[in-house]
Amino acid sequence: MQTIVPPYLLDRIAEAADPRFPLAADAARRALLREPPARVGPLILPDEPDQPSALPDAPSTPDRRISDAQGRETLPGRLVRREGERDTGDEAVDDAYDGLGDTHRLFDRVFGRDSIDGAGMPLEATVHFGRAYDNAFWDGERMVFGDGDGEVFRGFTDSLSVIGHELAHGVTEHTARLRYQGQSGALNEHVSDAFGALVEQYALGQDATAASWLIGEGIFTDEVQGRALRSMLEPGTAYDDDVLGRDPQPAHMRDYIETDQDNGGVHLNSGIPNRAFALAARQIDGFAWESVGRVWYDTLTSGNLDENATFEQFAAETVRQAEHRFGAGSGEAAAIREGWQQVGVPTAE
Amino acid sequence: MDVFVSRSGGLAGLRLTWHVRVDEQPDADDWFLLIEQIPWNEMPPEPAEPDRFTWDIRCEAPQTDGATHPDGATQAAGATQAAAPAPPAAEVQEATLAERQLTGPWRRLVDRVQETAEPQRAAPGSGRT
Repeated sequence: MQTIVPPYLLDRIAEAADPRFPLAADAARRALLREPPARVGPLILPDEPDQPSALPDAPSTPDRRISDAQGRETLPGRLVRREGERDTGDEAVDDAYDGLGDTHRLFDRVFGRDSIDGAGMPLEATVHFGRAYDNAFWDGERMVFGDGDGEVFRGFTDSLSVIGHELAHGVTEHTARLRYQGQSGALNEHVSDAFGALVEQYALGQDATAASWLIGEGIFTDEVQGRALRSMLEPGTAYDDDVLGRDPQPAHMRDYIETDQDNGGVHLNSGIPNRAFALAARQIDGFAWESVGRVWYDTLTSGNLDENATFEQFAAETVRQAEHRFGAGSGEAAAIREGWQQVGVPTAE
Repeated sequence: MDVFVSRSGGLAGLRLTWHVRVDEQPDADDWFLLIEQIPWNEMPPEPAEPDRFTWDIRCEAPQTDGATHPDGATQAAGATQAAAPAPPAAEVQEATLAERQLTGPWRRLVDRVQETAEPQRAAPGSGRT
């Protein structure tokens, strides 16, 4: 992780060890310790006995494989860093490696999910894809990152929330399989933004109030008038630039955009559920991965979501899962209901 | 003949468009040959890949009797249309491709369009093409 939290803050969280937030304290401690030293010699996998993967205190290890497309658009490219190997000195390779580690850690430690498929699937990424390629995507097997054109975008591995976003597409594909079109597609995008944000917050030990709720902070060059690609909390305000124009995301159902492009505006209308998520998290406060994060993960893995789920159906399922996990009269369930209400998505009752 | 290329989607959801007036190109004949190779009706819909670009490619030719080229080219280059009857309806060919389908003549056409025209930023979600 390149991003720095003031050490005093980490110290405070790590030492507080509030029993309500064992994971946060743990996250802060880990952030202080940083990565273990790179292994030398052949990789020896720990001999793990059969353990249920849902135990946060029985962490699994990621199996990362970073390849280099060397400026071509051919996948997977040349394998340049495997699990346990040292930094390569190539920033894109090492950022991708670290980011995948941070993402794996959130899913593993908080949600008890070992990798994308829940069964230790290798985390594969390709960097330096294409020439001046302005994008990052998930191709069904791997995350792919371009270097950006250098004028609008710098490299796409510069943002942890972007790395988490791409990996979360893999998780969605292995769970709720939300169809990438229209409202279900915008939900697919939203889920990736939500977990991308949580990966960043978890790695930084940030609570919902301290969090930026920005997706892709730091991937614009200094030339661009903007903070990030998207703001989950204030959709439509992430950038306002002469060249790029203004962030077009709607923040409320009344501004839902009907379009044929972008698979029905999946990157636009995701602003609506994004805001509901961020509002609920801030209302509950504390660490978002402990509250809304768990509810959204439960929703994704409930088996109750249709692949073509609408915003309303998704919202109703989050409320059901919140009531199940935290209780019908809980503050969590109320905040989530309220969040959806504020963006104009009605939940039953 | 006009060629329009639109790239939408992508992680950032930003849309770029390119437009080439083929008749104004010094190598217009090469363009026509390339466009003739485009397998317009052979693109099955692909399942979307999250965050990947979607490409929309459209060629519009003024409808003429029979061949659209190279007569079309000379007619437009002649630019003496003041006396012509009402402008003919355009003949439009269009396809939407997932990025991984952008190969062969599709790729060559898009590369050529990008080399020839500067991209314009279009408001995401605007328009329906």
